[in-house]
Amino acid sequence: MSRKVTLPLFQPSDKVPLPPANAEVLTTCCDYCIVACGYKVYRWPAEGPHGGMKKHENALNRDYNLHALQGNWVGPNQFTQAIHKGKLHNIAIVADADSEVVNVGGDYSIRGGCIAQKVYNKDKPTKDRLKQPLLRINGELTPVSWELALDAAAEVSKHVIKKYGESAWAMKYYSYQFFENTYALTRLALKSINTPAVSQHDHPSIVDATPGWTDIGYDAFSGSYEDFANADCIVISGSDPYETKTVLWNEWIMRKGILANKAKLVMINPRKTMGVAIAEKHGGLHLDVNPGSDTPVHMAIQRIILENGWEDKAFIEQWVNNFWETDSGFGQGTRNTPWQWRTTWGHFQVKGFDDWKEWLLSQEESKPNVAAKIAGIDPAKLYQAAEMMGKPKANGERKKTTIAIEKGCYWSNNYLNTVSIGTLGVILGCGGRSGRIITRLGGHQRGGRSGGKYPTWKSPYKVGGRRRHRMDLDRWVQDGHVRFAYVVGTTWVQAMCGSTELADVFRKSTRGNPHQIRSADRAHVIQTLKKRVDSGGMVIANQDIYLIDPIGAEFADIILPAATWGESSFTRCNGERRIRLYSKFYDPPGDAKPDWKIVSMLAKKMGFQGYDWEEPNDVFEESCRFSRGSRTDYNVLRTIAKRKGMKAHDLLRDYGTEGLQCPLLLDGEKILETKRLHDWQRDDLPDTGPEGVSVQGKNLMAFKTQTGKLNLLKSPWAIWSDFYDYMTPKGDELWVTNGRINEIWQSGFDDVERRPYIQQRWPENFLEIHEDDARKRGIESGDMVRIESKRVPVQKDFNLGVKSDDMFFSGLMKRGHIKIVSGSFEAVAIVTPVVKKGVVFTNFLDKGQPANSITPRVPDPMSMNYRFKLSSGTITKIGESPYKNDFSRMSFKRRNIV
Amino acid sequence: MTNESNEIPVLSNCMSRRQLLFRGAAAVTGTVLLSSFPGSNGEALAARVTTYPRLAIGKLSKLNVNEPGWFVYPDKSAANILIKLGEPAGGGIGPDQDIVAFSQICPHMGGPLGGTYKPNDQALGPCPLHQTSFDLTRHGMVIAGHATESLPQIVLELDGDDIYATGILGLLYGRCDNLKS
Repeated sequence: MSRKVTLPLFQPSDKVPLPPANAEVLTTCCDYCIVACGYKVYRWPAEGPHGGMKKHENALNRDYNLHALQGNWVGPNQFTQAIHKGKLHNIAIVADADSEVVNVGGDYSIRGGCIAQKVYNKDKPTKDRLKQPLLRINGELTPVSWELALDAAAEVSKHVIKKYGESAWAMKYYSYQFFENTYALTRLALKSINTPAVSQHDHPSIVDATPGWTDIGYDAFSGSYEDFANADCIVISGSDPYETKTVLWNEWIMRKGILANKAKLVMINPRKTMGVAIAEKHGGLHLDVNPGSDTPVHMAIQRIILENGWEDKAFIEQWVNNFWETDSGFGQGTRNTPWQWRTTWGHFQVKGFDDWKEWLLSQEESKPNVAAKIAGIDPAKLYQAAEMMGKPKANGERKKTTIAIEKGCYWSNNYLNTVSIGTLGVILGCGGRSGRIITRLGGHQRGGRSGGKYPTWKSPYKVGGRRRHRMDLDRWVQDGHVRFAYVVGTTWVQAMCGSTELADVFRKSTRGNPHQIRSADRAHVIQTLKKRVDSGGMVIANQDIYLIDPIGAEFADIILPAATWGESSFTRCNGERRIRLYSKFYDPPGDAKPDWKIVSMLAKKMGFQGYDWEEPNDVFEESCRFSRGSRTDYNVLRTIAKRKGMKAHDLLRDYGTEGLQCPLLLDGEKILETKRLHDWQRDDLPDTGPEGVSVQGKNLMAFKTQTGKLNLLKSPWAIWSDFYDYMTPKGDELWVTNGRINEIWQSGFDDVERRPYIQQRWPENFLEIHEDDARKRGIESGDMVRIESKRVPVQKDFNLGVKSDDMFFSGLMKRGHIKIVSGSFEAVAIVTPVVKKGVVFTNFLDKGQPANSITPRVPDPMSMNYRFKLSSGTITKIGESPYKNDFSRMSFKRRNIV
Repeated sequence: MTNESNEIPVLSNCMSRRQLLFRGAAAVTGTVLLSSFPGSNGEALAARVTTYPRLAIGKLSKLNVNEPGWFVYPDKSAANILIKLGEPAGGGIGPDQDIVAFSQICPHMGGPLGGTYKPNDQALGPCPLHQTSFDLTRHGMVIAGHATESLPQIVLELDGDDIYATGILGLLYGRCDNLKS
């Protein structure tokens, strides 16, 4: 075999200047995954003087060279240069070695560790940041003034709202990119315009990601990272935190949990990932389930627990609703909650624990042999799992079991999986106690704040006797109802299921429309775009930090350049509800502006009042009162700041990278933090009840239902099995599932394309395939393969289902609501024992070759969540990739070497 | 570090330093554009040529496949692995292009990688601190884990039976300059 001799693509410098002792130090957190490790930014003039190797000569407070685990090492990827107040500065961004929370001692991930390379630099790969507004004139995106770009957006918006109603004005936006921005965006869309045509980056509607838990009464982010360290057994489903929650894994699960506390892990995942391999090495268990088969697995484990009497009887007695408590509604009305709505079909509701137990034991799918067959696993593993989770210790004490889930669990069979793993949590006594929590692991950080109420009543999706659905924005677009779309910080197209079909719809209504701008004349621009919408077409304004293909590069007429992390001060919470201030430390590129500022300019042009924000603190303080009672309630920050005569941002800044754990409450001059929700043994709340602006919600010391107790629910396999049968591979198809990998997790929007270090590792989309499946198809590592499906189901219109069976997949098929389309994408094959036989695994969102081209666009009828993780297709070799015989890019080694 | 352009000096690891010198003034001034080398496509960033010591670290005739040896370079506090992988590798020297050397200190947080060589995967790791693993056939690229640069590769040169270390690609963990200790 002849291989080209190459150099590595990324060759870092072998020297890095140190910050001098007098360098400015600002605090921030990583911009990427939900763990949000604390970082310090060191800033000093480009020309120096630089720091020395002696402790007193540098701002890092370290004698160089460093030994292991000392923290505060500045590697080549932690250093960059940026313009601050018009002048070039050196910037080092280093995990905070003084941190005692989250990333204790300054641990970091590959993503956060490279975050300095996110910073705009005209000589680095970030040079293609959007720097000024653009207008598509004669097909070319042409620089124009903010004045013209916003005039065009505002005038067309006003025209659309007046002529076609606010439902024709849509907003697709990120749910996470800082409280200030999401507050501003939703204030415009929901409060000022009051349109129902709003959805977030990862769903077709504004949905609840874990509706089963909502119905049971569990908050999705109730725990603290220290709960992982205190658990005896940690159940992790649909995620590997080694890959995607690096420091939660390193510090809290691995070091403090597995190694120090001897915790045993049960990991439910079709792949034997690195975290699984490590767990197994330390006495853990891998349930290598087929994609989408979790519910029977949960039910079988429940059966084994019940048959052995291992359920937490005292907890169930105290915290599970009986029939009267479940049914009474307690003032909310029996038909006015999502839960009551879902249960009016009679498929889910039970009359308390005994009734639920009886139902469970009567189910065929709860029999271990049946469940194991559906899941494609050894039935013995179900017994072992039940024992690890529920069997009391030799001394009779109950084990502390913690359950953590993420998208592999709730983006396949959303409602049933969240119900069944939630009820597993109930019988194990999970919730509200140290080491005994049930939580999402999380994706993006928690930066959503709503500046207005979603007008559900305006959604047209209403069926007699059922609660109104929120609008499915993809379908609304597909049906031609959207005339103006404001797209902020999301690819929209590739991020949604059945993306090929969706792209065709956008193309037709934008570039396929005869009314295209020919000159930069203001009147002509507005006139043309109005004609576009009047002829049934659509105008897109795309606001982002880079030009995104195709939503910006091909479909949008107006491009608005956004400023981001480090370019304006922001606030956000992490996965344990910890709020921190993310400091501004350099100037945004060109004329880019933070999203909250662009919103204020656009809103004022549209004639709305109350958008006179001058700085991010103005938006933050306004947003405070809208956080009241939520899991990220930070309202008291404003109160205390006012008492001290300071800005709320500055008050939070004083808490550095440690921040404060929400919800926050007031006790005199003191701010009380919340370690975990549902904490019924909590004893630090004032006896006198909530003080001042504090909200002591039920969630703090009880569960989130009408009674404060938990509901047990049924999880009948039959309401899912028709869809599952359709999606199950046929002929020579394999399961095609997808997920995230460590190196590009929540950072895909900037670091894949603009970080040579990451690019050399993952230059293109990949496909993990088992050795046996590869051999049969003549596929070797490094070959290019096509993944194709000719039977991708797309639900093309709203289903006016009356009987419950109408709502299920077979009902939709029978009633003509499903269109079958084709899709394909290409990837570089990695032949590996990591992935289960019969299953292939690819990157969740590769913008160039999106896995979503073959995922089913049929949302869960109970919750409107997409089933992103579940598709099937044929895999065909189409040639060799350049990486097969090249040492400089990609590695084909298995990822689970222990 | 004020020079942020792509014309940052580079040291080739597929040529001996003498070959580099014969190419002309480039090595003397320290600037060679990467595109002048085969297979690199010119899209890479470049590394910096520094005057590294040239140190004999082993003999070709003594190396056996998958039997790691170790040596210190560029100074006594920097431990490295020397390994004959048995299959061609990026930067590999010898008749089979399979002899490579890497730092044995994890560039994530300084964990010791000595004794972690995995012959079946030609990998170093996982690091005992945070489980990062590195592909020795591909310039020390991270297979999985947290390091923010590849495992620094020691540039090797063969002179008869003698193997010399002549440079380092990347910054050794814990240092601000490979040549300062």
